[in-house]
Amino acid sequence: MKQLKYLLAGCLLLSATLVSAASLQLQLQPDPANPAHPTMGDWMHFDSVITNSGQQPIEGLVAWISLVEVTPGKEQPMDLEDWSAHKAVTGTTLQPGATLNTQWPMRLIQNGDYRVVISTTDRNNKTVFTSPTLQFHVTQKPVVESTRILPVALGIPLLIGGLFGVQKFRHQHKVS
Amino acid sequence: MNASSLIAKKERSALLQNQRGLAWLLAYAGILSAFALLLISNQELSLLDNAQVVYMMAGTVTAAGALIAVIMGSDAYAGERERGTLVPLLTAPISTNELLMGKAIGLAGAWGIMYLLALPYLWAVGAGGQNLGQAIFYLGLFGTPVVLGFGYLAMALSARSGSVMSSLLTSLIVLLFSASPLLLGPGLRNSAVGRALDAINPFSGALNTYDAVIIDSDPFMSQLGRLVLVLLWLGIMFGVARLSARRPAIR
Amino acid sequence: MLIEANHLALELDGISILKDVSLHMQKGEIYGLLGPNGAGKSTTIALLLGLYRADKGSLTHFSGQDAEFVSIRQRIGVMPEFAGFYEWMSAREYLIWYAGFYGGSQSPPDSLLKRVGLSQTANKPIVQFSRGMKQRLALARALVHGPELLILDEPTNGLDPRGRREIHDLLIDLANEDKVGILLCTHLLDDVERLCTRIGIIDNGKTVLEDDLEHLLRDAGKPRYRIHMTNIPEGHLLPPLVRLLEWDGSWWSFEIDLPHGRDIGKVWEDLLVHGWSFDEIQVESNSLEARYLELTGSDKPDQQEKAA
Repeated sequence: MKQLKYLLAGCLLLSATLVSAASLQLQLQPDPANPAHPTMGDWMHFDSVITNSGQQPIEGLVAWISLVEVTPGKEQPMDLEDWSAHKAVTGTTLQPGATLNTQWPMRLIQNGDYRVVISTTDRNNKTVFTSPTLQFHVTQKPVVESTRILPVALGIPLLIGGLFGVQKFRHQHKVS
Repeated sequence: MNASSLIAKKERSALLQNQRGLAWLLAYAGILSAFALLLISNQELSLLDNAQVVYMMAGTVTAAGALIAVIMGSDAYAGERERGTLVPLLTAPISTNELLMGKAIGLAGAWGIMYLLALPYLWAVGAGGQNLGQAIFYLGLFGTPVVLGFGYLAMALSARSGSVMSSLLTSLIVLLFSASPLLLGPGLRNSAVGRALDAINPFSGALNTYDAVIIDSDPFMSQLGRLVLVLLWLGIMFGVARLSARRPAIR
Repeated sequence: MLIEANHLALELDGISILKDVSLHMQKGEIYGLLGPNGAGKSTTIALLLGLYRADKGSLTHFSGQDAEFVSIRQRIGVMPEFAGFYEWMSAREYLIWYAGFYGGSQSPPDSLLKRVGLSQTANKPIVQFSRGMKQRLALARALVHGPELLILDEPTNGLDPRGRREIHDLLIDLANEDKVGILLCTHLLDDVERLCTRIGIIDNGKTVLEDDLEHLLRDAGKPRYRIHMTNIPEGHLLPPLVRLLEWDGSWWSFEIDLPHGRDIGKVWEDLLVHGWSFDEIQVESNSLEARYLELTGSDKPDQQEKAA
């Protein structure tokens, strides 16, 4: 009985090794045109190169971008909803030795320290390959400035209120 | 001055010289001011992407404009009837079409004033950011048919029912229903029903266009389908108003 | 002929509102349109103005010179029962604005306002007007374009006795001097007797009577008067024209055959001369009222009113 267990475990190990024979290499670089000191609202682009370094073609490749905030005290994964419309590449087939070049645009929505990483997996392989991470800092830029908003938000209702008063005065004036 | 111009002149003076009309404009400006003040009083909102803020303001202007248009449209016939001013108009030598045109021009004028009032708000929240000009242009192009369409719908109900309350309630329900996909969240909107509703909903059409052109900088040509949708909405609602206004309720 | 309406019928939302209404009106005539609440008077007016189209019957205005209601309304002035205005405007502003529909006012707004007794308040916002002032302004609005036909629905509502008399005088002037035809829809039989030359009575959606007022009063019989007296004259001698009808213990009823133009006061003097020393007089029945009551209310007006 004990021998049978060892045999089964050995088979499973062998099959896992065979499946993971696929091998991917990932590189991730910031685009040279990226701003040196990015601030909120700027666009950044990240260039990834995914290479099939194995002997077998890789089918159903999925690559995706992830963003993690690493600002001290605010460490968290980010929802890319507002940051990027280009979040993944799917269904690609990579022949052995072939590469996939992808540019990942991203609009910087919030200030803080962030790390970006590209991950891949494929239809047959349970392994997830990840690129090296890139870290960047986004400087705060208040997009809504009270110096502009306050005069408008208070001034326009006051203007209409003034018109209201003028009409009332005109009516009273007509009477007298 | 022809009959339609006279009616439109009266509608304009009802908005700018009548205290009730000014109160509606004040309420409209109040909504925009409250939203703008929220942006600077809430730190999270104040750090929002500039384009996102402009998009939200354009959506707020459209929603508030549609709300005021629904109120004015409901008052157009039924309010006149309830105040005893409809019969003098109907017994004057003007056709029902001229009366409707006057009312329609009056409503368009009111939206024009609301649009102009919105410009400083858009500037205040979006100056220096991307696509402010686009926002102003598309608010005019898509906001106008959506807002006027709701106004004409309310006008049709107002002429038909003769009751401000019933036309206002019905129009508000339609307006809320139109806005509901936006309240459902992305999950439900991406369902088959959600997508179908989005495809025929002029309100969603306008907001999706704002999103596409202000945030994603999409080109004009990609918005043609939605432009057709909102123009169709305007045309149908005006047609419905014309049918109802042929014999407005006077009893 | 200003209006020639024959056998008009109208159904609204499946309810028969008018069944058989006829109305014939000449230039310079003051026509009293009478009927109980819900009888169909206002609907008849709406029909005459083209606000509804009759299902049956024929209707022509101004001897058929105009077929389109938009041009017919150019010649008609209307004063609806409920006088509504844009109350942020002044009376003068409103009249100038409203005259625009007719291509401008026929007479200057100020003289029109003076004519209806509103010259002192021409610049006052209408919101501050009393009901009576609004009635006067509604009349000015109806007259702003110098109409050939005036349709007035309860024009003296809310007016004090002096104001009512002023409006009566104005209407008589309009009919006699300007030859304006006036269709007067009212519940006040006193107004009708004072102003109208012809009347039509509608009951339950049907015209039950259309006649000259003078003819109607002649046919309806003489009015009956009651006098109260404590001392009964001996011999019961009566002056000419007076016929004794009955005595109920303290009140005597008379019928007086009063010729046209003869003052009733003279009859009372004659009675006193003949020893009938009464201390109170009552008009027992008004002949128009009696005829009206006789002709109306045969069906169920309440039901009609609900339906309307």
